[in-house]
Amino acid sequence: MAIPDPIVEGLASGWKHIDASQLSQDQTLEADVVIVGSGAGGGVAAEILTDAGLTVIIVEGGPLKSSESFNMEERRAYPNLYHQAAAMKTKDKAIGIFQGRAVGGSTTVNWTTSIRTPKPTLDFWAKDKSVQGLSREELDPWFDKMEKRLNISKWEYEPNRNNQALKLGCENLGWHYTVIKRNVKGCWNTGYCGMGCPVNAKQSMLVTTIPAALDKGATLVSRAKVIELEHHNDKILAVKAQALNEQMQPTEVKLVFKAKHYIIAAGAIHTPTILLRSNLADPHELLGKRTFLHPTLLSGAIFSDPINGHSGAPQSIYSDEFVWKHGAASGELGYKLEVPPVHPVLIASKTIGYGKTHAALMEQFNQLQVTIALIRDGYHEQSQGGQVQLTDTGFAIDYPLNETFWRSVRRAFGSMAELQFAAGAKRVLPITEGAPYLNSWKEAKSAIETLDLGPLKTVVASAHVMGGCPMGEDTKLSMVDSQGNSHYYENLSVMDGSVFPTSLGANPQLTIYGMTARNATLLAERLKSSS
Amino acid sequence: MERRTFLTTALVGTAALALGVNLYAPEHIKVNKALDSEHRLLFSVLLPVFLDDALPEVEKLRIAAQNRTLDAITQTISLLPADGQAELEQLLDMLENRLGLLVLTGSMTPLMMRNPDQLIAMLEYWRNSFLDMMVTAYQGLRELVLASYYSCPEHWNRLNYAKPTFLEV
Repeated sequence: MAIPDPIVEGLASGWKHIDASQLSQDQTLEADVVIVGSGAGGGVAAEILTDAGLTVIIVEGGPLKSSESFNMEERRAYPNLYHQAAAMKTKDKAIGIFQGRAVGGSTTVNWTTSIRTPKPTLDFWAKDKSVQGLSREELDPWFDKMEKRLNISKWEYEPNRNNQALKLGCENLGWHYTVIKRNVKGCWNTGYCGMGCPVNAKQSMLVTTIPAALDKGATLVSRAKVIELEHHNDKILAVKAQALNEQMQPTEVKLVFKAKHYIIAAGAIHTPTILLRSNLADPHELLGKRTFLHPTLLSGAIFSDPINGHSGAPQSIYSDEFVWKHGAASGELGYKLEVPPVHPVLIASKTIGYGKTHAALMEQFNQLQVTIALIRDGYHEQSQGGQVQLTDTGFAIDYPLNETFWRSVRRAFGSMAELQFAAGAKRVLPITEGAPYLNSWKEAKSAIETLDLGPLKTVVASAHVMGGCPMGEDTKLSMVDSQGNSHYYENLSVMDGSVFPTSLGANPQLTIYGMTARNATLLAERLKSSS
Repeated sequence: MERRTFLTTALVGTAALALGVNLYAPEHIKVNKALDSEHRLLFSVLLPVFLDDALPEVEKLRIAAQNRTLDAITQTISLLPADGQAELEQLLDMLENRLGLLVLTGSMTPLMMRNPDQLIAMLEYWRNSFLDMMVTAYQGLRELVLASYYSCPEHWNRLNYAKPTFLEV
């Protein structure tokens, strides 16, 4: 069945799109505002600023891909739509990181979970991180606006069996759970959000704000990797980029973008990387520090009945039973319980072992329920996150995993096993070296207490990169103010998850949408009044 | 790749590897490199171990699956960032020469000459090593092979899985 492709149609209607891989000569482009990145931050900012009548150029490192190429296969989706073909890892290789790299950023490949910033997070930022004007009361109108814009609403269909297990386990144990709100419109409930929505139901930036901005005359430049910002005194003068070819390798072609104002929205790895590479003022050496990942553990469970975790909305239930149990910054680190979609490459690579044991696990692919625990990092004094560092060839993410973290991992494995058995699992397998299949909660409880956990033994993954360019009013703690404007450069703002002073304890897209909607609206007013 | 080509490459490669060409061959003889720039021979030795019980039992299907996986591995490697490619290349080169083998496995015996149990022992040695370098070598190869194998729709039968077909109707 042919699915209408808004990108193909938009390009045919005359959108201004430059695929830098096709350029043979250097280019210089000018606009009122240049936005680096087209994900949750860049996409929302582009629409709002274009709506305000400003001219906008969006510069994206990744390619412009659309539903006609989304074929529901990981072997195509990962190289096309993810950084490092979804195989990115921290410096010591202990954490695998999924981050989008295409027009639409991670919103093109995320699992649609839309959660307003938790109140304890905002309270902590106000109290400990000098953030002002970002209480839930102040943010809620912006969440309302973006929920309406992106069709974010409670998932009214039955959860798939993978999520149902999470729900059932919580019900049987009396634990908290919530039905997730999703940014979808006419969702086919197929389960392939992570490979690019094949039917354009997901209201990612790719099919909403970016097309809206392009309809109103914005220019999109794809496959253009931003190298650095040129600056003098307290002004940014230009953004310099390098064209990438179709294999994402640099070509000889250079691009220069000039604007009255510059927004960096390249995500929590690349925003700090670009700013560090540009040698911008950073007197308190904050850039790239306090990078948070919501380091995530996996627990597999074998059920008698089919789970078919590949089919249906990937995430529709979550449990916050353990996120704030011990307070925001005291006690043990909190963790959020969710489930991931179960697809062949994802599961084959994020499990343990090889040969006969691995093949036996894969043969139970359809009976496999997977629960994940996302650890809330950045609050506790023993949870200070990691660091984005420049290297000769690009960047590295150094994220040490300490004893406090591993204590929470052990508790999280326990909670997940308890939940899975309560939901009817026959056997549970914590995804860590040396863990056997566990046959009951009683057996699991004692086995998990003695598991040999650690980096490179325990599978740790992340799909939420945050921090590295924090916001706040205290310049000792922050690079940008609470509205995302640079403390040091009058025409520079940052609008993405890099401004979070801690992790969120919730999936980040809606926080970025809401905060960017507010910050870009304020910026548009300022730019309009000064012109 | 046709089976015949695969076997030919394997045989030539075997001889080259057994000689430890990287270490001992004169500079002008580049038999190994010229024929095996993608480390297909090395991976063809490792695949049956990593994919034991996953590969089809029927020989013809098994060889086709192995060759498909070798192609997928080449493709996967090409997608890694420069740093990752360089690290992997270093590891693969070490596994293809005797001194490297001695460092990594404690034995100079070419991998091609080792039986499955010896290869499993080698992987387990890395997997449980106290040296992070060994563990990451094991994990890097493991992830590369398993991800490449399961990226091919032809290998999903055993999972009783297929992607939806509504787009093809």
